Amino acid sequence: MSSLELLSIAIIMLYVLGTVCIAVGLLARRDRLKRLSHWLTVAGFVLHTLMLGLSMQGQTWQILEKAYYFRMLSWSLLLIYFFVWWRLRLEFLGLTASPVALVFYVSSFMLADVQSKLPPAMSGLFFGLHIGTLFLSFSLMTMACGAGLLFLYMDRKLKHKTRLSGFDRDLPALSAFDRVNHLAVMAGFPLFTLGMVSGFVWARIAWGKVLSWDPKEIVSLVVWCMFAVLFHQRLALGWRGRKTAVMAIWIFAVCVFSLLGVNFLMTTHHSFNPQ
Amino acid sequence: MTRNPEQAAPATHPADHKTHPAKHRVHMDQEIYLIGLNHRTASVEVRERFALTDCTVLEQGVVPTGDDISEVVILSTCNRVEIMAVGNGPGVPQRVLDCWAAARGQQRGDLEPFVYVHKGIDAVRHLFSVASSLDSMVVGEPQILGQLKDAYRKAVGRSATRVVLNRLLHKAFSVAKRVRTETAVASSAVSISYAAVELAKRIFGEMSQYKAMLIGAGEMAELAATHLLNSGIREIMVANRTFERGLQLAKQFKGEAVLFQDLSVRLSEADIIISSTGAHEPIIRARDIKDVLKRRKNRPMFFIDIAVPRDIDPDVNNLDNVYLYDIDDLKEVVEENMAQRRDEAAKARSIVEEEAGNFAKWLKSLDLQPTIVDLLRRSERIAQDELARTLKRIGPVDDATREALQAMLCAIVKKVNHEPITFLKRRFDEEEAGTRYIDITRRMFNLDCDDVPEDAHSDRKHPQPRDDA
Repeated sequence: MSSLELLSIAIIMLYVLGTVCIAVGLLARRDRLKRLSHWLTVAGFVLHTLMLGLSMQGQTWQILEKAYYFRMLSWSLLLIYFFVWWRLRLEFLGLTASPVALVFYVSSFMLADVQSKLPPAMSGLFFGLHIGTLFLSFSLMTMACGAGLLFLYMDRKLKHKTRLSGFDRDLPALSAFDRVNHLAVMAGFPLFTLGMVSGFVWARIAWGKVLSWDPKEIVSLVVWCMFAVLFHQRLALGWRGRKTAVMAIWIFAVCVFSLLGVNFLMTTHHSFNPQ
Repeated sequence: MTRNPEQAAPATHPADHKTHPAKHRVHMDQEIYLIGLNHRTASVEVRERFALTDCTVLEQGVVPTGDDISEVVILSTCNRVEIMAVGNGPGVPQRVLDCWAAARGQQRGDLEPFVYVHKGIDAVRHLFSVASSLDSMVVGEPQILGQLKDAYRKAVGRSATRVVLNRLLHKAFSVAKRVRTETAVASSAVSISYAAVELAKRIFGEMSQYKAMLIGAGEMAELAATHLLNSGIREIMVANRTFERGLQLAKQFKGEAVLFQDLSVRLSEADIIISSTGAHEPIIRARDIKDVLKRRKNRPMFFIDIAVPRDIDPDVNNLDNVYLYDIDDLKEVVEENMAQRRDEAAKARSIVEEEAGNFAKWLKSLDLQPTIVDLLRRSERIAQDELARTLKRIGPVDDATREALQAMLCAIVKKVNHEPITFLKRRFDEEEAGTRYIDITRRMFNLDCDDVPEDAHSDRKHPQPRDDA
């Protein structure tokens, strides 16, 4: 177990250094620091993957720390980040990715002392499908939210013709932010739908009913509706730019509420709290 | 070093040697001069009359190196002529001016009123400002550095540079690079057409998949179109009231001419629209653009309205995914950029000041006595460091041993340095070679603590200029 702890400390150190480097590199406009940050984040990610693999060993799906849940979330976020970075060549994503990964990873430690048994129902293939797809789409929405905030910031500057600072000049063009939104919506919505459907099917198998009016389920349905609207408008009506950026930010906000707010404040069978 | 400029130059002047009372002091009178004129001191006519770009004398060097002038580099562009010379005696500027005027078949008197003469550290400072484009008409424009490098290359080809100018020019290049990386003096657009292109890049990024449309023609619109083409835009369409003129322009930009009546239909194909018609009423209205956007599936559009009165309804800017800049907005951007450049120029000047100071320090040390002192001090420092390390390792020793060790190191320092120092002294009496060996010694032992990058010489080609980086 101590080797795992050591690994965790190493991962945190790498993510912290990555965050510091990206912040300093951005403010001081040093490309070398930004590149260093990327390497640190990649190194952290490799250890992170290793750690997840190790802690999976000898455990079944039933007994999982909740910390694992968050570690997995930060892991999938980084996976998406690297994918988008590789596909779209957008360096600025590192700006959101390493700090967010750090926050998730550290918050997983705050939860680590409470070890809970997942209900026996939460097992098997559907667990992987349900959790995996939702995590991936949540990660995509995190990206879209970051890109959306930057889009709104730049859009305002360009519309109001305010002076562009050196930081603004280093940001990518507006169209790049919109491409991230496009990718997140086009890939994220089908994944989210898959996650929802697998959840309902699983609920039908496990509890005999599709919808149990659990708060988490309701919030998730709201998210799905918002997501569906965005998906449709983008695809059919050709929405772009500001509107899609704003919607992505809202969807992300509701997602965060459903992930943290609902799980900790309300009683739900999705809860982390021991039942 | 495969080729040594000095070998080609007249090496020694025996007559001088005999008559000069204190031979080893000769080089100390050597002074850097910078004689020149620029766009502030001379009008275009004068600059044309005295330009040194295309005259035949330039091949042999306008100012021959010889008795009192030992090194010369000449820079001549459309905005300036700068002659850097190293020589001794107060007559150097006069001689340079004589040669300069003679090269263009003019009188010295016609030239003198437009010329400035800088000496010593002022000359260094001026050259550094020129190289970093602080003295340019458009502060921060990048061409001047390339022109200076060419000028230096030519001078090296003529074997007209030696220790002082070699180092001075290399320092000037590195100062220019420092200014470029440490200040934002050249990072923003200062012309209206270029500012428009920069904004387009902020919206679209990579330009290769976008199309632009010119509505109406005008100098500024054409300039903007040229900039757009240079930054890789896919196509330029031209819509002009007189179709023939449109065709002509389209041909110039290898684009397509569009009938003016078809404007509202074809507008949806264009991502960047530059409008400069003489119309009194707006020709593009917000409600037209709404339809256009629908047809384009809301792909962003960037309107640049450089017409007065304006061609495009200002309400267009309120639509999503549409950005409209009119001539005043662009002027404001340019003015802000100018102001920013001025601020940054102050920062750049302090860099120039600092580096000029360093250079002056080096120039002063290019003498026999300081070099010997530096050489000995370096060896002594190494010896003392090693002694301290050794004493730490072998533990406490008695005073006698310590003194013996000290004495031994002292003797080594003296004996190791004895031969180089006598060699330097001997060479220094031959005035020509003096500074060169001093310079080599300083570089060989890195007495000026320069950081030399490992790949300092990797970009060398044949034949090579003498390099001190």
